[in-house]
Parts: sequence; structure tokens; C-alpha cells
Amino acid sequence: MYRGREGQWAFLLHRLSGLAILFYLLLHVFSIGSFIFGERFYMAIHNTYDLWPFRIGLVFVSAGVVYHAFNGLRIIVMDFTGAGVAYQRQMWYAVLLISVASFFYALLTLWPRMVGGY
Amino acid sequence: MIRARTFTDARQQAHSNAELNWWVFMRISGLILVFLILGHVYMTFIQVSESDATFDAVVGKLASPAWKFYDWLILALALMHGANGARYSIEDYVRSRPTRAWVKGLFYTVVALLFAFGTIGLFSI
Repeated sequence: MYRGREGQWAFLLHRLSGLAILFYLLLHVFSIGSFIFGERFYMAIHNTYDLWPFRIGLVFVSAGVVYHAFNGLRIIVMDFTGAGVAYQRQMWYAVLLISVASFFYALLTLWPRMVGGY
Repeated sequence: MIRARTFTDARQQAHSNAELNWWVFMRISGLILVFLILGHVYMTFIQVSESDATFDAVVGKLASPAWKFYDWLILALALMHGANGARYSIEDYVRSRPTRAWVKGLFYTVVALLFAFGTIGLFSI
């Protein structure tokens, strides 16, 4: 495997987070759209997704979305400005910082709900 | 897939107009999706509990034309952005031509069916 510097890891994480989000999106469209099959069908899926492993999973999905969003903005800045290329490494560390902060923000918001069962 | 650092590079590297249009589409749709999706995650996951997304709540919310439009915009843009992103990955990693054609065909079918499913759902209530 090619061992590049920060740019290579930024690319790899962008691709992995993108594929993960796409997989989640396909499931999400089906699970929410399933209301057209009636209340019993929808609520059966909903009650499964309410189990704690899936709720923790949503924290990872949120952090992945934040990473993909901000790294995408970094790519756009790189594509259209010269300064963006010069500072891409610094911007990537900022993206990582925002993603990790979002992960803990989502986790801390979710935690009392999960423990309290609501 | 175009590996370019600027729009000028992208135009020189693009094999076809379609490939260049996808390159531009990824950037424009990405910019719009940043706001739509981060807003959606904040409003439906951070502000309210996941448990609140019951049948009545979802049907009640999606009955409003504003939310129909918001969610349909996400559905259309995110599926196209995601499908094209996955196409880049498939073209990078699936090297055999026949296998690649099958993988792409199957994948596009799933995405198209889900797009139809989501659209019918949104506009049936």
C-alpha cells in the first residue's frame, strides 16, 4: 500500500466515510420510507433501531457525516484557490478536530437519553 | 475519476464532457448537502431523541410541503452524489471488465429502486 502523508489519509477517510454514509442512507431511506407499508411494519423497524447498538452507531454516522462534509469543503477550497493547496495539511487537522469534537458532542447528547430509556 | 487540483487541471484530464460534468456536480451538490444534511442531523438526531421518530411523528412531519421539498432535495442530491462516489470506488477497485459491469448494473438498480421508493413515499402522504 502506498504510504503517503496527511493527504493520503484524508483521501482514504473521505472515501471510507462516503461509502459508509451511502450504506446508511440506503438503509435509512428504506426504514423511514417503510411507513407506506403501514404502522405495524414501520414500528417494528423503528423499535429495532431503538436498541442501543444502533443508537451508538448513529453517533459514528454523525461523526462520519461531519468529517465528509468538512473535508469536502477542504477539497473545494483546494480545487479553486492556490492558498487551499498550500494549507491543505493544516486544514485537514482542523477537519479532524471538528469531527472528533462532533463525535463527543453527539455522544454526550445521546448518553442521558439512552441511559434514561427515552 | 479525475485527480485534479484545480478546475483547469480537471478540464484537461477529463476524458469526456460527462466526466467533467460529474466533477462539477460533486462540488456543487456537496456544497448544498453540507447545509441540508448537517441541518437534518441536528434537527432530527441532536435536538430530539431517536425514539421520537414514531409512525405518527414521521407521517405528520412529512405531510407538510416544506419538509417534503427539503427531504426530497436531500434524497435526490445525496443519492446522485453517493452513487457517483461509489462509481469512482468501483472503477478503482473492480478491475475485471465483466465483473465491473455487473457490479455497476446491480448497484445502479438498487439506487434507482430506492429513489423511486422514497419519492413515492414522500408524495403519497
